[in-house]
Amino acid sequence: MAVLTYLYLIYLAAPILLLVVGSFGEVWANSLLPTGATLHWYAALLDDSSLLRAFRTSLMVVSVTSVIDVLVGLPAAYALHTQSRRSVRFAGRLVSLLPVAVPELTLAFGFILLFSTDALPWLGSSPLLIAGHVVLTLPYLLNTLLADMETLRLADLEAVAGSLGAGFASRFFDIVVPTLRHSVLSGLITVAALSIGEFQLSNLVSGFLNRTYPTFLLQAFYGATGFACAATVVLLSLAVAAAAIGAFVARAGGAARG
Amino acid sequence: MAIHFQNVTYRYPGSDAGVFDVDLEIADGELLVVIGPSGSGKTTLLKLLAGFLEADSGRILVDGRNLAGLPPHRRDLGIVFQSYALFQHMTAAQNVAYPLKVRGVSRQQRLDQAGLALNRVGLAGFADRMPVSLSGGQQQRVALARALVFSPRALLLDEPLSALDAFRRVEMRDEIVRVQRDAAIATLHVTHDLEEAMSIGDRVAVMHGGRMLQVAPPQVLYDAPVDRTVASFVGKANMWDATIRDAGHISTAFGMLSCDTAGWPSGSAVIALVRPERIVPLASPDDARADGAVLTGELRRDRFAGPIRRFEMALSETVLLGESGGYRGDIAAVQIPANAIRLLSPSTFNPSGV
Repeated sequence: MAVLTYLYLIYLAAPILLLVVGSFGEVWANSLLPTGATLHWYAALLDDSSLLRAFRTSLMVVSVTSVIDVLVGLPAAYALHTQSRRSVRFAGRLVSLLPVAVPELTLAFGFILLFSTDALPWLGSSPLLIAGHVVLTLPYLLNTLLADMETLRLADLEAVAGSLGAGFASRFFDIVVPTLRHSVLSGLITVAALSIGEFQLSNLVSGFLNRTYPTFLLQAFYGATGFACAATVVLLSLAVAAAAIGAFVARAGGAARG
Repeated sequence: MAIHFQNVTYRYPGSDAGVFDVDLEIADGELLVVIGPSGSGKTTLLKLLAGFLEADSGRILVDGRNLAGLPPHRRDLGIVFQSYALFQHMTAAQNVAYPLKVRGVSRQQRLDQAGLALNRVGLAGFADRMPVSLSGGQQQRVALARALVFSPRALLLDEPLSALDAFRRVEMRDEIVRVQRDAAIATLHVTHDLEEAMSIGDRVAVMHGGRMLQVAPPQVLYDAPVDRTVASFVGKANMWDATIRDAGHISTAFGMLSCDTAGWPSGSAVIALVRPERIVPLASPDDARADGAVLTGELRRDRFAGPIRRFEMALSETVLLGESGGYRGDIAAVQIPANAIRLLSPSTFNPSGV
């Protein structure tokens, strides 16, 4: 069992290690490992304007997606949670899961069909790109929130706050939002990780000037290998950072709810 | 009357469960405990009063004011939940101060009042603790202080002790009574724990199948239950079908017993209720005292459990259940004192066809 586990870990880690090695290698062509050592490729990243633009686009898309997800997701989750009828809650959950079940490619083709029409000529625009990311990531936030509302007994907290004299607005902002702050944060980490790594939809609906970072990466691999490796390592570092922050927030949240 | 349920009916949509035609009054300062098996409607009653549910018919008055249509936050009632429901992101003091905050009391004033309220429940020095660092009993005290700090018109307790372990439960039970007496507030306490209900209630209301069967002080409930259901719910009971023979005597399957038959005409069918601890064990029939039938039978079971000794004696077809505190001798016969027998009407209430 242990041997199998180690083999599997090597299998997982090998491509990543190769990428890291490749990003510091001078020449890498038709050999298992690159030759020579250089920081040249990282320097080249900073000089590449289309890469920097892609990076900025990704950051912008992630930020706006996160904000919209919270603004839509928190009230939606709240409405689903407080809706006492079982059937309505089930339907809500189902709808929130649909984008997860439907392949991104299908969604992207739908976007292309719909938004390349004369009536809705928005294909290639940033708002549409963001809208796509919202559709893809919102269910994850929604499900995190719904599960936590259950475990945190939000319904009881609200009922008690009501009995203590708190009207709807007080209850929502004094109790619901602060109680769910760790859940929102850990849900957003997932949202950010998904959004930053998202390729299929972005590749199909983004325009030339608002390509996201992963979309740019694909182009980069047509060029110098070392450059592409370095660019991928940057993305990887971001993902690892997001996962680390996510784990930290989840732990803090776990401690707070005892 | 501080709280008054008048003919209140509520049926859960799409089911037969709910509460039906409930009439109940709770006086100022009275601690009334509602008890019943799960599904009996006791929590529904609390939710109707709190405003989490709205009655289909009937009225609920608090201090003479009809609560119909008022949302929970306008009813001015303090509620303590089984799950404590403390706000985890607030300190103990902030939790207690919250009802004052939403009422617009200034920050300093509300923290002062919260401090006093925490003192009253024995939590001085815990003001700055977060709920997660408090024990279950301490959290429940915070919840109690929070429910009382704004001087509500009534206190509602929804199984407040069932999340605590047995030892803390008894301690917290006394604490609730003390604080409730202190505040002299009309209190509706819902529980399924019989001992809890009997030991703290000024009066106890027994619910079954959504109906209020009897509301009475604990001792009356135990000694003079209105029917078979209440009798068996509030304690162990021997209940025998019997017929009034003449004034002062009833006949049963195992012979004649003497008891008070005032109010029952001869020949009417009754149920004779005898609590096990009222049955007197005897080493020999000759030990009998003056009053009450002496019966001999086969001792079926004899279990010593420390403070209590339980025995069963077979009298022809009937098995009699007895309990004794200090009796250590043989049991060859039993005596049933006349005043231990309580006659009930055999027409038992049959809630929703169960």
